[in-house]
Amino acid sequence: MADFIRNPVVALPDPNPESYFSEEELIFTEDEKARIAGWVSQYPTSDGAVMWTLWLAQEKFGFLPPEVLQLVAAELSLPYAQVYGVATFYTQYFKEKKGTFVLDVCTCFSCQFCGGYDILAYLEEKLEVKRGHTSACGRYTLQEAECLGACGSAPMMQVNNGPYAHNLTPEKIDELLEAMEAGKPLPFVSVTLPQDEDEMGGNRRTDAEAVEGYITPPRSERTQ
Amino acid sequence: MTKAGNWQSYERVLLPPVENLHHLDVYRAHGGYETLKRVLKELEPQEVTAQMKRSGLRGRGGAGFPTGLKWSFMPPVKPDVPRYLCCNADESEPGTFKDRQLMEYNPHLLFEGILIACYAMSLNACYLYVRGEYASWITHLEEELAKMYNANLAGKNMLGTGHCMDIVLHKGAGAYICGEETSLMESLEGKRAYPRIKPPFPAQSGIWGYPTTINNVETLACAPLILGKGADWFAGIGAEKNPGPLLYGISGHVNRPGVYEYPTGMLITDLLEIAGGMRGSKKLKALVPGGASVPVLRADMIEGVTMDVESLREAGSMLGTAGMLFLDEDTDMVAFLRRVAHFYHHESCGQCTPCREGTGWMENLITRIDDGEGNLRDLDLLLDLCDQMEGRTVCALADAAAWPVRNTIKRFREDFERRCRPAVWAVNA
Ligand SMILES: Cc1cc2nc3c(=O)[nH]c(=O)nc-3n(C[C@H](O)[C@H](O)[C@H](O)COP(=O)(O)O)c2cc1C
Ligand code: SF4
Ligand code: FES
Repeated sequence: MADFIRNPVVALPDPNPESYFSEEELIFTEDEKARIAGWVSQYPTSDGAVMWTLWLAQEKFGFLPPEVLQLVAAELSLPYAQVYGVATFYTQYFKEKKGTFVLDVCTCFSCQFCGGYDILAYLEEKLEVKRGHTSACGRYTLQEAECLGACGSAPMMQVNNGPYAHNLTPEKIDELLEAMEAGKPLPFVSVTLPQDEDEMGGNRRTDAEAVEGYITPPRSERTQ
Repeated sequence: MTKAGNWQSYERVLLPPVENLHHLDVYRAHGGYETLKRVLKELEPQEVTAQMKRSGLRGRGGAGFPTGLKWSFMPPVKPDVPRYLCCNADESEPGTFKDRQLMEYNPHLLFEGILIACYAMSLNACYLYVRGEYASWITHLEEELAKMYNANLAGKNMLGTGHCMDIVLHKGAGAYICGEETSLMESLEGKRAYPRIKPPFPAQSGIWGYPTTINNVETLACAPLILGKGADWFAGIGAEKNPGPLLYGISGHVNRPGVYEYPTGMLITDLLEIAGGMRGSKKLKALVPGGASVPVLRADMIEGVTMDVESLREAGSMLGTAGMLFLDEDTDMVAFLRRVAHFYHHESCGQCTPCREGTGWMENLITRIDDGEGNLRDLDLLLDLCDQMEGRTVCALADAAAWPVRNTIKRFREDFERRCRPAVWAVNA
């Protein structure tokens, strides 16, 4: 046997992965099954519904370990390999357990030059967690995100794959974290502003100042 | 007089200043869906496509392909062969945030456009692929879509015409590459989103192998305007060869960033003024006129340049998505390029070696220069790398990664050279 077969160059997935959920937990309710059937009916084959179903599973279980992927595969009568392939392709599907709050701070180029890295560094310090990791208390996962499509209100971040927080400042972040700690709804709206906010009663950023130099170098880390 | 004509008195049509226009009843009260009804009753499908051709509309998704022409590529209808429309709302190009604004404030204009396109090409279903990050806006679209179905504006026997047109929302999950049309189709089919080799083009073999047309959100939202107000009206707005209203997404070091609707062909300098000028009265250093993939322009290159396909090509860049990033004099172009390279390395799907490895080496080399450990010859190595990547891959992501690298180095060479170790060492140093 060639050496690379015995010692593969890449780590293969564990054939007997540790299970996070018990048999009883690993089911879809009738309600959820009906939703899945609804998605399946919208596509010529059940393959099309896999992304929606993975979203549903992630909402329910918090993340997508192998046994959840198997559950999705069984529900849609698809090969496990296909579901595994899809789940691992997209960044928003969590393959490992994350904190209660997942903070995606955009540092892509508009945000980069409007202080995105300052926001990231402020959160790193405040939550005592490095980017890409979950805090020791298990409450916060801090991630660096690519452009989230809100460059006009940079710097910004997304909370739990859901609402956006625009025009971030350290004060705004303090407020946000306080609300999260207290379990209250987030004190802002995702809505961005129309062209003539005065006409429309909007609130386009008025406190924009020239960035005089960054506290944190606006630099991405080398991808490993 | 610029190409944009009398833009000071331009009245917005894509994002008109109407409160709660996103509600179906408000949209209808402002004449919404009347165009669709008229089109269904009075026009033949071919006439709709002909109007689209006459309007001169070019796709707003980045490539700028003439929309009417694209629609006419659909093969003749065959019984039992389904055909599809795909609306590309995957908007992930850095610096672009116009489609989200449109879906937020005027979703029914998009839906109406989708239905008109379905009629023009005799399609029964449209998949609206929205990027997963736009979760809040997907919920928003779902609500409005449900109202439409209740009002019989879509679905079986829509508006009592006997047509059946469905709009299906599809939620992505965070991958830039899904914006590429064939990748989007793979993603819809529930696979890993690897772009396909073209040909066959989507009109021959698209989703599940069936004829498919794919258009951007803003492109489709222009359809009701063209058919409602006339192709000539549309062709008369803005730049002659690239007409129509355009959503400019302005970001970066300006006082009032945001999405602005104006005719195409606006002077860049006018747009900068509209956006409140540079923050802190600093000087402009560089401009990215259409999202991360297009070549960056130096401040001295924008004089007299207008925002349309022709003028920007002459200036040495592209219109792309019209997501404009203004950068001020303090901007570190090496850090800028490092972040851009990081983006492409992160988003490469990994299918083609020149792209998968090339974007990685690009990031490594630029990081090395940025860290002060680069050599002058690394710059030429980077340019050589761009040559090795361009045109050698399945999709255009590798080109999109190479263009900004090549042009940023060319146009800001001193910034890079200053950070590199000298080529020749002083003898007694
Ligand atoms: C790497 C890559 C990413 C793309 N991303 C998007 C996108 O996010 N949104 C979009 O509308 N078009 C995107 N496009 C362009 C599409 O492939 C396609 O040309 C466009 O959706 C066609 O619509 P249009 O004719 O209405 O412009 C991308 C292209 C490439 C090569
Ligand atoms: S060019 Fe890059 S992104 Fe496009 S198919 Fe090839 S590897 Fe994937
Ligand atoms: S760069 Fe941050 S949202 Fe676009």
